[in-house]
Amino acid sequence: MAAIGVHLGATCACAAVYKDGRADVVANDAGDRVTPAVVAFSESEEVVGLAAKQSRIRNISNTVVKVKQILGRSSGDPQAKKYITESKCSMIEKNGKLQYEIDNKLINPEDVAKLIFSKMKETAQSALGSDVNDVVVTVPFDFGESQKNALGEAATAAGFNVMRLIHEPSAALLAYGIGQDSPTGKSNVLVYKLGGTSLSITVIEVNSGIYRVLATNTDDSIGGVCFTEALAQHLASEFQRSCKHDIRGNPRAMMKLMNSADIAKHSLSTLGSANCFVDSLYDGLDFDCNVSRARFELICSSLFSKCVEAIKKLLQQVGFTADDINKVVLCGGSARIPKLQQLIKDIFPTVELLNSIPPDEVIPIGAAIEAGILLGKENTLLEEDALIECSAKDILLKGVDESGADKFTVLFPSGTPLPARRQHTLHAPGNISSVCLELYESLGKSPMNEEEKFAQIVLQDLDKKEDGLHDILTVLTMKRDGSLHVTCTDQDTGKCEIITVEVAS
Amino acid sequence: GFPTPAAAQGNEVAFMFLLIASVLCQVEPVGRWFEAFIKRRNINVSASFQELEDEKELSEESGDEELQLEEYPMLKTLDPKDWKNQDHYAVLGLGNIRYRATQKQIKAAHKSMVLKHHPDKRKAAGEQIGEGDNDYFTCITKAYEILSDPVKRRAFNSIDPTFDNSVPSKSEAKENFFEVFSPVFERNARWSNKKNVPKLGDMNSSFEEVDAFYSFWYNFDSWREFSYLDEEEKEKAECRDERRWIEKQNRAARALRKKEEMNRIRTLVDNAYSCDPRIKKFKEEEKAKKEAEKKAKVEAKRKEQEAKEKQRQAELEAARLAKEKEEEEVRQQALVAKKEKEIQKKAIKKERQKLRTTCKNWNYFSDNEADCVKMMEEVEKLCDRLELASLQCLNEALTSTTREGGKAAVVKQIEEINEQIRREKEEAEARMRQATKSSEKSTTGGGGGSKNWPEDDLQLLIKAVNLFPAGTNSRWEVIANYMNLHSTTGIKRTAKDVINKAKSLQKLDPHQKDDINKKAFDKFKKEHGVVPQMDSAAPSERFEGSPLDSSPWTTEEQKLLEQALKTYPVNTPERWEKIAAAVPGRSKKDCMKRYKVRSLTSSWDCTRPGLERILCFCCSMRYCPRDSV
Repeated sequence: MAAIGVHLGATCACAAVYKDGRADVVANDAGDRVTPAVVAFSESEEVVGLAAKQSRIRNISNTVVKVKQILGRSSGDPQAKKYITESKCSMIEKNGKLQYEIDNKLINPEDVAKLIFSKMKETAQSALGSDVNDVVVTVPFDFGESQKNALGEAATAAGFNVMRLIHEPSAALLAYGIGQDSPTGKSNVLVYKLGGTSLSITVIEVNSGIYRVLATNTDDSIGGVCFTEALAQHLASEFQRSCKHDIRGNPRAMMKLMNSADIAKHSLSTLGSANCFVDSLYDGLDFDCNVSRARFELICSSLFSKCVEAIKKLLQQVGFTADDINKVVLCGGSARIPKLQQLIKDIFPTVELLNSIPPDEVIPIGAAIEAGILLGKENTLLEEDALIECSAKDILLKGVDESGADKFTVLFPSGTPLPARRQHTLHAPGNISSVCLELYESLGKSPMNEEEKFAQIVLQDLDKKEDGLHDILTVLTMKRDGSLHVTCTDQDTGKCEIITVEVAS
Repeated sequence: GFPTPAAAQGNEVAFMFLLIASVLCQVEPVGRWFEAFIKRRNINVSASFQELEDEKELSEESGDEELQLEEYPMLKTLDPKDWKNQDHYAVLGLGNIRYRATQKQIKAAHKSMVLKHHPDKRKAAGEQIGEGDNDYFTCITKAYEILSDPVKRRAFNSIDPTFDNSVPSKSEAKENFFEVFSPVFERNARWSNKKNVPKLGDMNSSFEEVDAFYSFWYNFDSWREFSYLDEEEKEKAECRDERRWIEKQNRAARALRKKEEMNRIRTLVDNAYSCDPRIKKFKEEEKAKKEAEKKAKVEAKRKEQEAKEKQRQAELEAARLAKEKEEEEVRQQALVAKKEKEIQKKAIKKERQKLRTTCKNWNYFSDNEADCVKMMEEVEKLCDRLELASLQCLNEALTSTTREGGKAAVVKQIEEINEQIRREKEEAEARMRQATKSSEKSTTGGGGGSKNWPEDDLQLLIKAVNLFPAGTNSRWEVIANYMNLHSTTGIKRTAKDVINKAKSLQKLDPHQKDDINKKAFDKFKKEHGVVPQMDSAAPSERFEGSPLDSSPWTTEEQKLLEQALKTYPVNTPERWEKIAAAVPGRSKKDCMKRYKVRSLTSSWDCTRPGLERILCFCCSMRYCPRDSV
């Protein structure tokens, strides 16, 4: 059995297949692992993908781009208004729904999304060689209910069985398997996604293998397209310098230049310099120009600083410093840019930067992994919000290290999903006859004091051993209501103390 | 490893503080641990992952040990051909756990059964083996085949022969509802597609719980299906058409059974609902609540009414008190007035006596008898006519002067009095004259002034008019001729005269007409009959100046006025305007007059229009300064 994960972005869509315990992105019929989310409508057919993107120069009013931005939005939405003014396709409102008007036909944004999903399904099926229906679809974290519904409907209309809609940042974490190996410990992960048209940064707390979004910020004013545009502007000025023609007012020439700049930008992520060549750009004149990576970085320096500033702002918002972040996950095609990765690395010098998976494939792979987890399960669609009880405070156990100083061990970090159980073994010197375990609760990183102690357990009459240690096993179980059961056992004698700490009502 | 701190400080007891409660967090629904968490929550295990894992392993290990297979006593007599009617759980020795058996347990049971009952084994033991498929071991194989396939197992579970399909009747549950229905619902809960089937609860369940329970069961979503009971097997069909036909048959049968099942559940819930003492309780509570609300409403209304009534009573009481007070005052005033009058009377009497005695002392200012008598008469007249003040003056003058001076003063006073009497007489006469004159004028005015119409002639005219009614040919000429013929006065009258007179007669008061008819022969009486006319004419002149409405005060108006007088006590500013406003159709002046009349007569009981008119007349005479009397 196989399942797939699909990520539909504003500019590109990507599908990954989960099969035999592995998730991998599948290449489309053109051999590309990422398919442009562009749909061109002609009289006889609809074209999805690269062909539609390339033919957009000639067919601008019949080609739909960035459908994700309008999906599920009403005409009153400021984002939708912005989209309508920028869109080259005419949009009208009918029955309270925004629709494209193409060749006097009305087309729903959902139908456009459906065409893209169908293309992804086709791609996955051709790669798998068998029919596949089960899918996990990713949505941005800031998608509302109506947008999620629209996306889900589009996927269903394409013949998919949508097992679940998951958020893009959590899919990215899943792709790297963060917190999936063992359900203990707590860490904070920053997901940096620079997509085609938007930048979204999310801080996720991973606790006992469960993800919880602490803060998120989405900036729609910056994206990969901005870099392409900056490069295209530079190329246009180059062309003006050499050929004395200002082509900035010529949309067709600019579009050709944009396509060329896009390709150059992609190659600059791996190469030191790239060649831009446009045949007959304007007035029969060809354009040929070399752009070095340094030049590109210079052109886009303001954009880079904007991209990096957003991280600092979000950290400030959560009240974190760079040290509180344990991992950084990069996703979105533009996160490939080496300069950007360098800048992020500068902010988090001690943190592991996860970029082993191509950033534009991280999210679909995560979706595919989730699809693999859900495969064969019943009722995979969640009816309600995933609300679970978590512990409110850190629970710590006091111990002493070799030098005799107090040492606290965190048994339940705050935010641990309940119910939960932890066990901890302490080694006491063999020559003492009784031990005392002290339990503390704390909210911050401030040093412990006696007031935060909420329970203590005393284990007496231990057998004295001249050599060797007493093994004291402590098992803590926290119930969903927050009450705590502590069992303390001396492994040698089997002596046992049990206490229950109830919740203050 | 960490060394635990040595228990040094007072460590006898383990003391504890209270933790703060857990918080609800929204988490991302991704990852295997989330799935594990949700699964754990759904199966309602409150343990950590490790525990769950441990338990799983434990149950897997111990499952085999604990699995106590019940030997099915009839096993060896089973007919493999009749597999459809056999209890597959019992065949595998799982009769005690049945649908709760896990796949692992089934597998284990099958394994042990195979080890025990496989034909090869038994052959080795020297038992008799049935031919081919006829051996009872086929039943074991069949049972495993069904129970190991989730779909087939579900189908078999659906028609579990040990399941009690019965639905308690309403009468059964009259007494012990919970004892009867609780096991039934628990039994049927296993068919639910949804987990966490609400329990029936007990008498103390809250309304929400009961409501949730019944709404769950009324919308019961059952997975029970009856494909196991299919008459024909699809696989047996030889061709596609036959398969289709079988499928159709089966579908119909299943639908029918499903419907029956739904009806069964429905009846169960209906019965429970109608018997549920809690529902009754809630209904009663609801009813009581409504009743209480209604009562409260009524109570509030009653209280309001009572308050109103009280207020009204208080008002009435106050009005009554005010009235009493007023009356008392009036009485007091009357008393005072009476006393004063008496005092005055006494004073006058005294003064008169004094005058008389002084005059007597002075021998009435004369010596001869006749003069004395005349003077006595005059003095008596003086005593009668003079006011208290002038009498006092006179007396003082008399006491202070000599006999001669006294005589002069008395004579002067007498003269004055005589003059006054004479003037009064003259005035009376003049008035008399004027009155007769006006009456004459009014009687003669009707005749048009052309000819005199004596009483006899009038009588005759009336007779003639009655004799020749309207419509007679040239009526008025005939009447005139008749008059001329029969008249005793001998005055010749033309038709025109007759018409004029008749018309003027018609205009006259019908009473006068009657009077004329009745007392035609008596001239004196005729004159007398005209007098009221004169009377009514006289006041009409006087009323001219005042806007007094001649219309009488009706009882209603009287009552309104009384009420208004009570509501606006004496010290109210602009009292009379308000009173007038309260009595429609009456002006301020009317009301004032009316009130004055009342205080004059000191009797409020003057509602008769006749008396009314007189009273109005009186007050208009007295209180309208413009009217000269």
